[in-house]
Order: sequence, then C-alpha cells, then structure tokens
Amino acid sequence: MISASAFFFYLFSAILLASAAAVVTSRNPVHAVLFLILAFFNAAGLFLLAGAEFLAMILLIVYVGAVAVLFLFVVMMLDVDFVQLREGVQKYAPVGAAVGAVLFGELWAVVLGWQVSPGADSLQGSPTPANMDNTHALGQVLYTDYVYLFQVSSLILLVAMIGAIVLTHRRREGTRRQNITMQQTRSVRDTLETLQVRMGAGVQELGILRPRPRAEPAEEEPRHEHAAGDH
Amino acid sequence: MHDFFFNTLVGHVLLVMGETLAVLVPVLMLMAYSTYFERKALGAFQLRRGPNRVGPFGLTQPFADAVKLLFKETIIPAGANRLLFLMAPAITFVLACMAWAVIPTFDGGAVADINVGILYLFAISSLGVYGIVVAGWASNSKYAFLGALRSAAQMISYEVSIGFVLVCVILCAGSLNLNDIVRAQKNLWYCVPLFPMFVVFLVSMLAETNRAPFDLPEGESEIVAGFFVEYSSMAFGLFFLGEYTNMLLMSALASILFLGGWQAPFGLSFIPGVVWLLLKICMFMFFYFWVRATFPRYRYDQLMRLGWKVFLPLSLGWVVVTAGFLEVFHMLPGESM
Amino acid sequence: MHLVLANYFPVLVFLAIALGIGGAMVGGSMLVARQMPYAEKVSAYECGFEAFGDARRRFDVRFYLVAILFIIFDLEVAFLFPWAISLGRIGLFGFFSMLAFLGVLTVGFIYEWCKGALEWE
Repeated sequence: MISASAFFFYLFSAILLASAAAVVTSRNPVHAVLFLILAFFNAAGLFLLAGAEFLAMILLIVYVGAVAVLFLFVVMMLDVDFVQLREGVQKYAPVGAAVGAVLFGELWAVVLGWQVSPGADSLQGSPTPANMDNTHALGQVLYTDYVYLFQVSSLILLVAMIGAIVLTHRRREGTRRQNITMQQTRSVRDTLETLQVRMGAGVQELGILRPRPRAEPAEEEPRHEHAAGDH
Repeated sequence: MHDFFFNTLVGHVLLVMGETLAVLVPVLMLMAYSTYFERKALGAFQLRRGPNRVGPFGLTQPFADAVKLLFKETIIPAGANRLLFLMAPAITFVLACMAWAVIPTFDGGAVADINVGILYLFAISSLGVYGIVVAGWASNSKYAFLGALRSAAQMISYEVSIGFVLVCVILCAGSLNLNDIVRAQKNLWYCVPLFPMFVVFLVSMLAETNRAPFDLPEGESEIVAGFFVEYSSMAFGLFFLGEYTNMLLMSALASILFLGGWQAPFGLSFIPGVVWLLLKICMFMFFYFWVRATFPRYRYDQLMRLGWKVFLPLSLGWVVVTAGFLEVFHMLPGESM
Repeated sequence: MHLVLANYFPVLVFLAIALGIGGAMVGGSMLVARQMPYAEKVSAYECGFEAFGDARRRFDVRFYLVAILFIIFDLEVAFLFPWAISLGRIGLFGFFSMLAFLGVLTVGFIYEWCKGALEWE
C-alpha cells in the first residue's frame, strides 16, 4: 500500500500532465485556458506536498487569480477566426516544424548531457531553517540577503506597468469625463442668474433666450459642464 | 473510540467529513435565513412587513423558495456552451463553501488550521471572478457578457486594496494564521488602531461581493440582471447561494481581521466564542442590508475611480505608515525574540 | 500522515462535499422538473428582439489594461506578505529595502495617474 502523500503526488501529477496536454490539444481557446487553470491548481497541490505552502498560495493568487484572468479576457474577447487560423497552419507548417525539430534536438542534447552535480545539496545558498515555516524563512532572506534581486524585480514591474500603458492606453475622443474639482468649485453665481421679469414680456425681448447665440462662448461653458456632472 | 478517529485513516477521514458538515450545514442554514432577514429588514426600512405568509412570521419562506426553484425548468440557451454553462454556478458555490475550511470558530477551532490561512482566503476570493466570467461567456448573450466583464473588472480592482488591508493586519499580528491573528487581538481589536483600513475593507467587501451600492454588474435598469440573465431554476439558485455564502464569508473575515473573531468583548468570556463570532457576522450582514436600503447605485466610472484612485493609494500609504510606526516604537511582533 | 497533507486534507473534503451538494441540487432539479425546451425559450434574451450579432466579440481594450495593472499590484501585494510577517527580524534594513521597492512602483503609479490610465469614461 502506498502512503497517502505518494498517492496524492501521483494524482496531482497525473492530472497536471493530462490537463497540460489538453491545453495544447483543445480546439476551443477558452477550454484551453480553463485546462491551464486546472494545471495551475495541480501544480499548487504539488508545491503543498513539497511543504512550500507560501509558494502554492502565491501560485494560486498570482497565476490563477490574475494572469489567467487576463488570458481569459483576451481569448474571450478577441474573436479568433478559426477558418483563418486553419489556413495559416498550412502555410506556416513547414517553418514551424523546422523550428520545432531544432528545439527538440537541442533539448535532447541537453537531456543526454545532463548529470546532477555530486555536491548539489551543499551548493544551496540558504538552506531551509528547521524551526520556522517557509513564509518566515523567505521573508528573512528575500529583503536583506537578496536585496539587489528584489530591487531589480521592482524595476521589472515598473517597466511592465509603463509598457502596458504605452501599448494599450488611448485617449478616446468624444467622451465626457467627470471633473470633480470643477464640480466642487462651481459657485451659484456662475450658473444662476436671477432676473426681474416684467409681466407679458417675451424671452426674446429681454434677451434671456437659452442657449445664447454663438457670439458668447464664455456663457455656454457652465451649461455644458452641468450636463456632464449632474447625474 | 478516540483511537479510531485519530489514529486510523478511515476514522480520520470520517472525522474530517463530520467536521466539514458541522461547518457547512450551519453556514447554509445561516445563508437561507439571511435571505429572509434581508427581506424583513428591507421591508422594515420601507415601512412594509416583508415575507409573512409562509409559516409563522414567514419563517419557512426560504425553504418555500428553495422548493420552488427546484421544480422550475432549467433552461439552457441554444447558443450556450452547455458544460461551462452548468459549471459556472457550481464554481461560484464551491469556492464560497471551500473558503469556510479555514475560518476559526473558537480558539484553535478551524477545520483546516493552516499556516497561510489568510493567503488561502485571498486566493479563494480572487478565484471568485471565474464563476462570473465563465457564466457570462458560456451564456452567449450580450447582457450576460457585459455584466460579467464589468463584474470581473470591478472585483479585481477592489481586490488590490483588500490585499493591502490584509498586509496592514498581518504587520500588526505577525502571522498568516487566522487563529494567531485573532489571538493577537486579545487586548485591542484592530478596528481601533487600523480604523481607516477597517472602513476601506468594509467598502471593498461590498464591491467584492457585487452588492449595493456597487451592484452594477446586475444593474436591472441597464443590463437586466448581468451575468446570470440566462439562468433559471437551481442553476440560478446556486449563484444565489454562492452570493450569500460569499457575503457571510466576507462578514466572517471582517470580524476575524478587525473585531477579534471569537474573542469576547468586555471580559464576557463565559459565552462561547462561536456565539460571539456569529453575532459579529450577523452585525456585518445587517450592515450589508442597511447599505442596500440606504445608498443609490454608483456609476461605473465613479466605482473605478474610488477603487484605483482613492482606496489603492490610501491603503498602500497606510501599509507604510503602520510599518513605520511599529518599527519606530519597536512594537513589531517577533522583535523581542 | 504527512503533516502538510493532514493540514490541507479538510480543504479537499470541503471541495468534495460542496461539489456533491451543488451537483445534487442542479441534477435533482433537472430530474424532478419537466423540461420542455423550444426554440423561443432557449434563445438568448435581448429585450424581446431577435438577437442580432454574436455576443462574443471584441471589447474595450480598457478591460485588458485593468487586468494588467491588477497583475502588477497583485505581485506587489505578494511581495508584501513575507515582508509583513518577518519585519520584526529583518530590522531597519528590510524596512528601507521595501520602501525603495514601493517607491519605484509609486513612480509607476504616478505615471499611470498622469497618463489618465486610471480614468474611466
């Protein structure tokens, strides 16, 4: 009888491999992303079995909770034209196959030449401390011993942030924005005008017909703002 | 007997299943009655009686509703993806239930007392987007899709500030274990020193569960019912269950993080911790209903601005302030060790 | 049993039981209620009109931007968690190391703000 942890290890690994295969083979891109999520879950399970609780949770939070949501957004909203894709496959198949073959050959060479260094255990930079959980252990070294790497990661995030904005952000024309400062600083005098109206006098006679003719744009501004802000 | 439950595999599995049911059944009962109390409370706010026909004071109304839903036809739209269409409500419901595994109901009393409990809850709440997005996409209906997108963008926006609020609490407690966080509040509940974060959490919790005044994803007046417009019968029922279970969960989380969970106030510790936790949860549920009865719906651009331009900088700044304060006054947990 | 496994086993049990309850409810409803679908009933809701166009189509790029910014801030939070629990032991150096990290990201945040990427019209 195998132990419970071995049972779960094989269970998670089997589902992980199967769903990874399904990611590449499924025809519907949304299904592929959902299989990818299943694969992430099982990877998190494997992390847990290895005792890396923090990594398992971060895998779920960052990859499943954020990255895969973006993937799902993309595949759901970019309508992928399957017929066009299929045509493309035939055109690019020889090139793709050649690149794949080269990559496979290289990987094969690496696998053949692979051997584990005999002193691998002693090469570990920071061995896991025995008397604390791994979140504490990570916190103790990440911000002090590995401070340069940590700072570099902040720069990477900064580049990602700026890149995303530069690539995707467009200011659209013809939309109205709410300008809170403008709304708050309006005074009654800017918008309201109290008039004494004689009995029987028409609006044209008094010159209070709205909107006023184009000649006075300064008077038009508050009206426009009022319409945008007051919901 | 003790030996059987703690030392054999079968016994252990049975024990855990028993514990699971002991948590889930009360949670589902509480959920059923929170729908009843919501209707009663809304009725009272609007000078009506609320449900009062089925059973004494309408007390069996939730079960009548459940039976009605059960006997309705499950309509699956022709253009829908059948499997994903039925999976979406299940995702919402299962996630809402799974989160309860780590909620401590008394000292040391969580079914799964894991070291990274708060991260687990954060992970589960960030997965909540999937039920909604999958539902919106699988229905193949414009309203559902638009509602799902809005809902997803809203949930992920507010999740960032929830994350920073959690970091503030962890800074004070020095642990990711929910039980330790509750224990650290023995003398002072965190709603006092972290009051601004408490407010940010309360508002983000409304947005995270898509409740009024942030219920734009299901805004009846513009996109009919949002992501579940095509759902009927028990598939709809599961969404409903999931939504209320999530509300209960966020209430429980708020009580654990800021109101001392099972800790008794004023030294009234002869009343068991479970009762206190329940009372605090009910208080937050009432807060939900009260807000729903009081505030009109937000506009979408205002909602996004509140999340990204107000709550995000505020909570991030507060993380730095809290850490600096604790660092300067040497009050950090673990420092004396 | 393996210690971590013993801690997390209840989570699996919760998953199984919740799946069971959910499946039983939907399945039970499909069994006991009469299912009589016809073309009008199973068409997508569109205010009584015939549906026009496919619901799955291109959408505002703004949603992607929100998702990308969310990933970045989520990672920032992920970096904050281990820092928060071990701040007492890594002292002032750890504190300032994190301040520098947050400072760099605040620059990015200010850039976003000024570019108007956080605005929604």
